[in-house]
Amino acid sequence: MGSQKRIAKELSELTASPPDGITVTLLDEANLYEWKVLMEGPEGSPYQGGIFQIRLVLPTEYPFKPPTVSFATKIYHPNVTNDDKGSMCLGMLRPDEWKPSSKIGAVLEFARQLLAEPMPDDAIEGRIAEQYKNDNKRYDEIAREWTRKHANKT
Amino acid sequence: MNIQDFMALEADSSHDELIDLRSLDFVSSYDSHLMCPICHCPLIEPARLQCDHVFCQKCLRSAITTFRSADTDEFPCPSCRTPTSQISTSVPRLLINMCEEIQVRCPFATEGCQEVVPRGHIQSHVDKYCGYRLIPCPDEDCEKMSRKKDLQVEQRCMHSYCRCSRCEEDIMEQDYEVSNAPALFNLETILINCVSQEHDKELCPSLETTCVDCGTTIPQRNLKKHIETCPEVVSPCMASKYGCTAKIRRAEIATHEQSCPLVSIGPYFEAQNTRLNSLELKMRHLQQRNEIFEDGLSNIRSTLLESARATGGNRGGRSATENDRSQHGRVDDDESANSSNVFSSNATTYLLSLHESLREEVSQMSHALTDLDARASMTIMNECLRIKEDMAHTNAAVNSVRMQVQWLMNPRLHNGARAGGMRTNASTAGNDTTRSQLTSTSAPGPSNAAGPSLGPIRPRRPSDSGREGTKL
Repeated sequence: MGSQKRIAKELSELTASPPDGITVTLLDEANLYEWKVLMEGPEGSPYQGGIFQIRLVLPTEYPFKPPTVSFATKIYHPNVTNDDKGSMCLGMLRPDEWKPSSKIGAVLEFARQLLAEPMPDDAIEGRIAEQYKNDNKRYDEIAREWTRKHANKT
Repeated sequence: MNIQDFMALEADSSHDELIDLRSLDFVSSYDSHLMCPICHCPLIEPARLQCDHVFCQKCLRSAITTFRSADTDEFPCPSCRTPTSQISTSVPRLLINMCEEIQVRCPFATEGCQEVVPRGHIQSHVDKYCGYRLIPCPDEDCEKMSRKKDLQVEQRCMHSYCRCSRCEEDIMEQDYEVSNAPALFNLETILINCVSQEHDKELCPSLETTCVDCGTTIPQRNLKKHIETCPEVVSPCMASKYGCTAKIRRAEIATHEQSCPLVSIGPYFEAQNTRLNSLELKMRHLQQRNEIFEDGLSNIRSTLLESARATGGNRGGRSATENDRSQHGRVDDDESANSSNVFSSNATTYLLSLHESLREEVSQMSHALTDLDARASMTIMNECLRIKEDMAHTNAAVNSVRMQVQWLMNPRLHNGARAGGMRTNASTAGNDTTRSQLTSTSAPGPSNAAGPSLGPIRPRRPSDSGREGTKL
């Protein structure tokens, strides 16, 4: 029960003063534990101009267990799995690194920061990380192409 | 204090009557540093770890149950993950005071309590002073809740239904405001004496009110009906909409209306109004139709313009192939002159000129047609004459041929006739011979009159020399 109060509080804070380029809504009004987040691609990154839909699922043990963040929109990124799940690898979301004092707003801002600056050393898609490091131009092109194709503002 | 001791504290502090401080509605804003990192509320009964991080005791307990591994006496701090085994419940008085003085609203605000008190006092407010606190009904069989202030006078169930003495409606007893009458009074007396709180003041339709105009006292539910008929109510004259400004009491309005000129002229106004309305309606209708027509006209105009341009170009090409070059040249000149006018003059004159030029063209065409007709008949006549001449020549030739043939045939015929004549009529033979000799000498003459005169033996028809020749 304690978790619901905190989640409701964080949700109202995030809707009242949303962070840059991030819009937060509930996937289903009756369910506090599944959020739909719309994230604009950060400026200066190949994801600029795209709008990415992110599914944020909170465990019932929140804030003692970390939330999971997954991209519903396909994205070409070293730290996001290139499959249907689109799970994102965020260091702070790992169970052994998660702190109950971390807020969802911070998680989302961190995720957006990761779009601007991928972390190839902490990659989940090795091939893309390799390309990011060695052939940055090509990576830029593909990421831009994918953004145009999948994350278009429609 | 180690973990076991800390966890054991929980049992002591658990208390039924405690209100949930986390769900309170905070009126004043507070510093975010006063917030427990786990529940995001101002710290409640804080506890401090070795790393100097502070949490609510309750939050910390749930964090420990989640994070502590079974075999160790340590858990990571929820903020910095420092392994921790000691917990101190003594935190600076300053921190507690700052948390306790945050203003909150009474949790029974939905029941009507308007109190706003510091968080530290809310528990005592609810326990002792709040009249809106919901407490279980003293009647053990009744499962409803009552507001505390409703129960202060009589400790009995207020949920039974009783009948309002005025409107005969069933009202729950707690919705009546209990008077200060001693509890010994029976229910009937309470009902009559009480000044109702909600039901009686506003809702009971049996309550009596006074009409502001005539001063009579009537039940509330009849008030509307009464106002419609009350003779004292001031109402405007019937002809107020036509400008009569008189406003008088209903009782005297009849006399006014008899003398008011606007009332007598009223029907006329009425009729005029209806007429005006119908005319307006008609006008709007016509306007719409007019618009439609205008649209259509402009459409036709534009199509005409286009077609005129197209045919103008065609005509120029076509005229080269026609005989009457000069004529068409003039027409084309007219056309170009007209089309140059199109853009300068307005469309109507353009249409008229177009019409005019077309008419001219049509008359020219008809001229040309009659001309051609005359030519054709002339040539036909010429041809006919020639053919006639030819025919005459042929006739003449045929005639000469026939005559020659007749001349050649005559002796033979003559001979045959003479033989027949000798057989049939011997007596006239001498005559016949002389006569046939005469005809044979005169045979080259054009007259065939001699033929029939030859007698019944020659089955020739008179005056048909051509046929005669061919038969032979």
